[in-house]
Amino acid sequence: MLITDKESFARLCRLNQLRLTEAEEAAVLEFFKSKNEEFAVLDKIDTENTERMVHVMPMETVVREDKMIKLFTRDELQASAPESYDGYWQVPRLVE
Amino acid sequence: MKYETVIGLEVHIELATESKIFCSCSAKFGGEQNDHVCPACCGMPGMLPIVNRHVVDLGMTAGMMLNCHINRTTTFDKKSYYYPDLPCSYQTTQWFAPVAVNGLVDIETSKGKKSVRIKQIHMEEDAGKLVHDDWTDTSLVDFNRTSVPLIEIVSQPDLSSAEEVVAYLERLKSLLRFAKVSECRMEQGSMRCDVNLSVRPEGSTKLGVRTEMKNMNSISAITRAIEYEVSRHIDAIENGTEELVQETRRWDDIKGKSFAMRNKETAGDYRYFPDPNIMPVVIDDAWYDGIKASLPEFPEIKRARYIGELGLSEYDADLLTESRAFCDCFEGAYAVCGNAKESANYIISDITNLLNKKQMTSDELKLDGKSLGELIVLVAEGKVSRPNAKKVLAAMFEDGVSPAKYAEDNGFIVSNDTGKMDEVIKAIVAADPKSVADYKGGKEKALMALFGKCMKELRGNCDPQVLREALIKAVDEA
Repeated sequence: MLITDKESFARLCRLNQLRLTEAEEAAVLEFFKSKNEEFAVLDKIDTENTERMVHVMPMETVVREDKMIKLFTRDELQASAPESYDGYWQVPRLVE
Repeated sequence: MKYETVIGLEVHIELATESKIFCSCSAKFGGEQNDHVCPACCGMPGMLPIVNRHVVDLGMTAGMMLNCHINRTTTFDKKSYYYPDLPCSYQTTQWFAPVAVNGLVDIETSKGKKSVRIKQIHMEEDAGKLVHDDWTDTSLVDFNRTSVPLIEIVSQPDLSSAEEVVAYLERLKSLLRFAKVSECRMEQGSMRCDVNLSVRPEGSTKLGVRTEMKNMNSISAITRAIEYEVSRHIDAIENGTEELVQETRRWDDIKGKSFAMRNKETAGDYRYFPDPNIMPVVIDDAWYDGIKASLPEFPEIKRARYIGELGLSEYDADLLTESRAFCDCFEGAYAVCGNAKESANYIISDITNLLNKKQMTSDELKLDGKSLGELIVLVAEGKVSRPNAKKVLAAMFEDGVSPAKYAEDNGFIVSNDTGKMDEVIKAIVAADPKSVADYKGGKEKALMALFGKCMKELRGNCDPQVLREALIKAVDEA
């Protein structure tokens, strides 16, 4: 998703549920434009025969066995919830 | 003008694991709300996901069953979107290197055989559930299902009718249940599908406007939804009833209509990003070969073998090969008793009745085939009568008892004590002179009444033929 203008930036804000002031928007859009220029330079590098870097850490296959362990109770987890009701987390209504 | 329909499916399958994909919480369906949760699957700050190895096993198994290429280095990525049933605000899925790609599934419909190409199979986590509560005017969130492991099977747009879609889904269900990848229970949501559909003039190579119907979870609803959408698209093209746009739609099965939900997101909107918290999973030769060796014989190959080599009828072979558990039980029993027909009969009739009474599916059958084989041998050798064998089988089904020991402990072993049999016959004949007279007068049924009384008194523990002969002799002499 390339952010090049007000329209594409507005779409990004909608997807991220962000509300910015006009001044903030202008500053962030400027930031994206400068990054796009840097990416354009990187895009010129020939990576045709280069293997994709999968991860920066020299580690692989960190897995666990399929074993069920119950570590927390519902009450412990919901202790910090702003709102809960009958064992559910409670949030503003989503659909009419 | 004639039109053709182009359909591609995204099928979500919940995997048969004990724990979730990235944490150790139970992956079991249901439970009290938010009882299967921990900081990891609630998306609390600082939590770190660790991949469940068995999820990768099952992802590979599914890939091999669907003739896919297995990516030996497979990675996880973040798919970002905001919704309260997704506590991290991203779903951990696979975008750049899914576990399996480029497969092929054969289906058969009334129009003949067809191969459907599989684009990819990726592993991912499920989202939670929302309940919209009118009383409090809020939405209530249950995270039990969050992080339950799924695979998503993405087909190429090779399907062209509801009949083909149903055949494809049934084939997936059969193969994946056989390989114990999933129970594929649509009614419990462990198999759901998104239908991507477009319509174009017959012979055209250009695809029409595509709509997607999400989370379809019944074969009948899928069939109705496809038929409705095809007709809506054609109506829009021919009569201009509406403008077709690429969008996600919701199917209302009660109203028999689809409704627009939102404009379809593009892949870019999800901002896929490699998950830095999950290391790449590298599948070495030992792991790959182990999974390959564990694959079951395909159901249609078993079916042909049961008919050709073991002499079962097509009907019996069809019923057995509907379920891997039935096949395992049948093959275990046959290996012990050598009687294929008898083994099949017990499963198709008695065991199926026991499952139905308990409202269990065939996949939940725990009965050991070897024990069933031992019971069949006991019956064949005349050591346990058929009526008593049903009682022994019920105990085996319920508690996994040994048939020989249970029959012995409960007095179900046929007695060779003719003295006791003679004693019982003498008493029954003496107590029922009317039946004796009726039989002598030519009423064959009267003998059966006496036979039944003797059998009841002996608790079924005698050879029926020996009893019948001894009873006729006693009645004749009375």
